[in-house]
Formats: sequence, C-alpha cells, structure tokens
Amino acid sequence: MDFEFSDDQLDLRDNARRVLAAECPPSVVRSVYEGDDTAPQADLWAALVRLDWPAIGITEEHGGMGLGFLEVGIVVEELGRVAAPSPFLATVTQLMPLLSSAGAAEHLTRIADGSLTGTLAVGEHGRWDLAAVDTTARRAGTGWVLDGAKTHVLDGATAPEVAVVARLDGTSGIDGLGAFLVPSEAIAATPCTVMDPTMPLATLALDSVEVATDRVLLEPGDPRSPDALERAIHGATTAMALSTVATCRAIFETTLQYAKDREQFGRPIGSFQALKHRLADMYLAVERASSLAYFAALTIAEDDERRAVASSMAKSAAGDCQRLVVGDGLQLHGGIGFTWENDLHFLLKRAKSGDLLFGTAAFHRARLATLLGLTP
Amino acid sequence: MRLRFDDSVEAFRSELREWLAANRPTPAAMAAEPSVSTGHAPEWARRWTRAMFDAGWLVPGWPPELGGRNAGPIETLVYMEELAKERVPRTTNVQGLGIVAPSILDYGTPEQVSAYAMPILRGEVTACLGMSEPGAGSDLAALSTRAVRDGDNFVINGQKVWTSGANYADFCYLFCRTDTSVPKHKGISIILVDMHTPGITVRPLPEIVHPEHPDLNEVFLTDVVVPASNLVGELNNGWAMANGSLAHERGMVWVSGVMNLEEALEKLLRDAPTFTARMDEAERVLAIDQVVQIAIDTMAARCLGYRGFAKLARGGSAPEQALMKLYASEVRQRLALVAAEIQGADAVEIGTVDPDGHHAIDEPQGTWLEQYFHSFANTISAGASEIQRNIIAERVLGLPRS
Repeated sequence: MDFEFSDDQLDLRDNARRVLAAECPPSVVRSVYEGDDTAPQADLWAALVRLDWPAIGITEEHGGMGLGFLEVGIVVEELGRVAAPSPFLATVTQLMPLLSSAGAAEHLTRIADGSLTGTLAVGEHGRWDLAAVDTTARRAGTGWVLDGAKTHVLDGATAPEVAVVARLDGTSGIDGLGAFLVPSEAIAATPCTVMDPTMPLATLALDSVEVATDRVLLEPGDPRSPDALERAIHGATTAMALSTVATCRAIFETTLQYAKDREQFGRPIGSFQALKHRLADMYLAVERASSLAYFAALTIAEDDERRAVASSMAKSAAGDCQRLVVGDGLQLHGGIGFTWENDLHFLLKRAKSGDLLFGTAAFHRARLATLLGLTP
Repeated sequence: MRLRFDDSVEAFRSELREWLAANRPTPAAMAAEPSVSTGHAPEWARRWTRAMFDAGWLVPGWPPELGGRNAGPIETLVYMEELAKERVPRTTNVQGLGIVAPSILDYGTPEQVSAYAMPILRGEVTACLGMSEPGAGSDLAALSTRAVRDGDNFVINGQKVWTSGANYADFCYLFCRTDTSVPKHKGISIILVDMHTPGITVRPLPEIVHPEHPDLNEVFLTDVVVPASNLVGELNNGWAMANGSLAHERGMVWVSGVMNLEEALEKLLRDAPTFTARMDEAERVLAIDQVVQIAIDTMAARCLGYRGFAKLARGGSAPEQALMKLYASEVRQRLALVAAEIQGADAVEIGTVDPDGHHAIDEPQGTWLEQYFHSFANTISAGASEIQRNIIAERVLGLPRS
C-alpha cells in the first residue's frame, strides 16, 4: 500500500510541468479566449504529440507506451493546472478506454501516433447516468442505425471520431447499452457558446446514422457491454475529478501567493487571521479532493471493486473543492481577480466546467446514496 | 502508488491477528472492570499491556527490550489498524504510553528511564501530562506554575487544569516555569512529580456528558517538594521537548481517529434506515444526502492519512499530517451532529454507558447527541481547531505571523 507516486511517476509529473510551462503559458489560453487564431492551440497539441503524450495509456502492442491510469492521471493533472486547451482529456480519458476494451487496434494506433482525436458522447438531457441514455441502436442489414441526441459532449464539434452510447430499443437501466464509433461527418454537431473555450462543448444530433459492424465498440445486448461501459465512465469521471482538482490547486496556489504579496494597512493581507483561516480551509479542500481522486485512480489502475464508489466520491469531492476554491479564490484576489486581463479567470472557469461535466457533486452524492445502500 | 499490501506485510498482519485472537482480554473481562479515566488501568489492562510488552507487540517499531520488534512504518500502520479493529487499546493510559514514556526515553536519564518510562511500558504505572493552566491554554508557553530550586530539590507551586487522568495517575510529566527573567518559551522545564507527593490536590472536573466518570482534572500544587534529579533533560529546555512523542509513530497518530470515524459511520449507516423511516420522501432525501457527505468525508480522512503516511515513510515532509487532527475531529463532530439531527426528537434521551465502558479511550459510544457533545473534546484539546488553522496557515502555507 503506497499513496505516493514512484520516482518514475514523479519524473513524469516534473517533465509534464516543465513542458507545459514552455508550451502552454497563459498567452496560449488567452489566444483561445480572445482570438480566432487557432495556431497556438494546434502548436500545443503538436508539441504534446511529439512527446508521445497521447500514447501514454495505450499498450505497446498498439503503439503506445504501456503505462497505466495513474500516469494518464498525472498528465491530466498537469493539463488541468494550466487550463490547457487540448484534445487530450476527451481523446485519452473518454474515447481511448472504450477503444481498448473493444480491442480497436487500428484506431488505438492512430491515437498513439497523434493522428486521431475523438470523444465520448454519453450525456443526454443534461444527465450523466447511463440509465438516462435514450439514443437507440437498431440492427439494419449487417450494420446498425442510431437515433437520438447527445448533450454537453466535450470537443463534440471538433473531434473526428465520436464514441456514441446507445441502447437497444425497449431496454432500460444499463441493460441493452452499447457503444459505436461514429465519424463526425455522420453527426450534426451544434457547438455550445461556452464560458470556458478550453472545454468546448457541443450538442449532437444522430438522425438515422448508419454504422458498420466494424465500428461497434460494445455491442448492445452483449452482457459484457454494460460493465465495460460503466468502467469507462468511472475512468472518465475520475479523470475529470483529477483535472478539476488540479485546476483548483492552481487557483489556491495563485491565491496564496497573492495573499503573501499584496499589502494593505502596511502588511501582507495574508497576515490577517480572517484570510489565514480561509486559506487553510481552501488547502484542506484541495488535499481532501486530491486524496480521494488518487484513491479513485488507484481503484481503476488496479481494477479494485471499490471503483464505482471511489470515482463518485472523487468527483463529488472535486465539486465541493471547486465550490470553495473558485469562490474564495476570486474573493481573496479582490478587484484584480475580477478583471478580464488577469489570467485567474481561465482557471476559475475551467474548474466550474470540470464540475459540471460527468456529474456535479450532488449528482454523485445521489449515486453514492444508492451504492451505499441508503436508497433503493 | 498502489492499494495492495506486500505479502510480507500481509504475513505480519496474520501473525498479529493470530496473537490477538489468542491473547486479547475478553470483552467480558473488560466490561467487568471498566477503565474510568485515562489514568486508571484496571487489572485486565495492566496484564494486557504487560503481555503486549513481553511479546513485542506494545510498540512494534521499537526494539524488543522496549516492547517492540523493530517493525517498519508500514507494519506499524497495519498494527494500528488491526488493533483498532479488535477494539482493544494497547493501554488505557494513552498519554503515558503515547507521550510521557517516549519523551522520557528520548530526554530522560537512565535512572528516570528505569524508574518511570519502563514501568509505563510494563503496565505497572500510569502517568498524566501537566500542561494547560487557567491562564495558559492555546497559549501554552504562558504557563506560570513555578518550580524553584532549593538545594537538592525543586519546590513547585501553581495550578494545572484539563489534566487527563490526574485523578488516578501515579506520576505527572509536569511543565513548570523555572526562569521568569527570559522570554516565555525559554524558561520552561519538565519535572517528574509523584502524584502522591504532599501538597498535591486533584479536583476532578466532570464533563458535560456522563459526569459520573470524570477524566479531566484540576491539579493544585502547593509547596510540592520534588528531587532535583527528577528534572527531565536540560533546565529551561522544556518547550523544545513539548512535542516529543513516538517519533516513528508520528505519521500514524491519525489512525485511531480515522478508525473511530469509520466505526461511527458504520453505525450511522446501520441506524439511517430506522431514522429515515418516519420521514416523507422530501425529508428523507435531505437526510440521506447528509449521511453520504459524511461517508465521503470519512473516506477522505483515510486517504489523506495514507497520503501523509506515504510521504513520511519515505522520509519526506507531510503537510497532510497537519490537516489530520483538524479534519478528523471536525468530521467526527459533523457525523454525530448529522446522526442526532436525523434521529429526531429521540436524540435527546440519555443513554447508558456501553458495557465495556471505555470512556477515556474515545470510542464511539453513548447516544448520538452524547457523542456530539463529547466530540468537542477533540476539536478543543491538543490545539483547538482555530489554532490548527493558524498552524497550517503559518507553518505549512508560509503565511506571515500576525
């Protein structure tokens, strides 16, 4: 039992931090917020691909580096720290695990070499539970036809490949669920006008979309499909928790530094006990959420049976954390944090986005009530 | 990072479990003679501490001559967890084994070790810790109990308060002022005082729940004469020794608190269906949400503890440790409060003491409302939550002192 990273993992983290300090300074994020110039964002992704980041969690047989969920999580954290605009989160933490469980060798190889990005379309009607999926899949000839609509799909308007979760008509709950890899040309995507453009969302309409058999990732009706889908959701949820907590840690560290530097009444504002106690509570919230996110990551890495509970606890704690840290981070910065020209708001909005995707704190507490046997 | 324990650690766990199963005092024996104070060691507790000492299970990280087996940090962590699961404490005199004996081993003379520390480890005597005073609580260094050198003796005058176990303890590890001419931190010394010395009066301070078993006391010292050889460490160096405790168990003081929390959570999860049965759907949803939040808090406490432990075990610093006391005590308080509120009007009934009556050992016991009131012992003592936040802000986060 060990809740600290290995030396190799710490090296990976340090390297990732160094790379992003050079490749993703706030000016890159600002360009996404302010400009039509997509070059800085494209350059960032090209740099990450050169460093083989998309290959981290893919097995060597599929051209990957053969590392595990913890290593993916380390990169997710570092991207979250700087609010990096990148297809990594959707491609590596949402799409890739489904491709792996389906053994989609060709696509995995293309993710590993950076030529393919994608996302996962699971949410519908603003809900994130699999039972809420209404999109249907019916057999037609040798293939399938999908009908339905997806909401809040990360990178949904730009990802070339979308894993669509759908169910056999007439099924409910998690029975009858499956997943299909659909090329974006077959989907009508409407981009949402979002507050945080580093986490771009889209609504997807699937109108009698024909899918060939070789694009079935998890076949509806196959008794193994719901479990594989749930595992994928646990991973995506945990990754979103890791990302969100890392963003919160960056907000906290920025705010702490500000409290040390900013002087009023002839002394640093951080010397006032009213601020000290708030900063101590922010720190506690970050460490609490971070510890739970690592626990969830461990349950996924080791295929521990507690992964459903752990991922919901992690996401719930991440939600609690951003609620405190976003609010207090902004409040303690005072007027300067309220301005567009200060970079703080990139982090504040990223943390909020992270809370809303894959279920808020309250959504996951409701799940936990069931998992803990408190509600039927 | 990994969740699983090594095979060698699992083997250690099995050996401990077997030994505990064969040697632990029976719940019936414990119930027949409950410990009524942290200074009180019933016969079963004395025999048990001695048995653990002889078998090398008292402080596993120590060498055999001190009741250990040179176990490593991860084994010690497993030991703490298994012991807590058994619901049997190493000793009823927690401050004696946890703070006083290790401090004497670290700073005391060979004579003090054999006369005071070893008898604690063998379960023969109990000790109390004389720190707080009416004028020195959170500001402990302001203590004014005075020890004046007089030939081969010290003469001590003053008053201590909140002294756990003083009503039964055999001796006191007493913090005294020995120099009034220097800044407050620099004039404090530690003296071992036999509690039967003339001039000592102990007045128990019954607590707000279960006043029949007081653990806290006022201790009045009037012209108490103590041999100068009972000075621990150097004169006026007491403040530096105030934090001395089981250094190698430093990363694990949270374990019993978290295990207590988990045990209380289990009880809450068992009680919740009964408590929520009378509610309509709307109220039930609100009640259950609070229970879930506590379940998350409880898991977080364990994960935070593990994270800090992992860093310490590698010889690094672990800021998580500073959070643990604050967090675990506040979660424990919220847990009891949530439980009592969900319980409804029945919560006001006074309960009976658990038959194994471990008042002093801080187990979940009594009604939920009693547990709520009792939980303030841990948010107030040993550095109140407000002091903990100052410590985190200044020592961990590096914020300037006010």
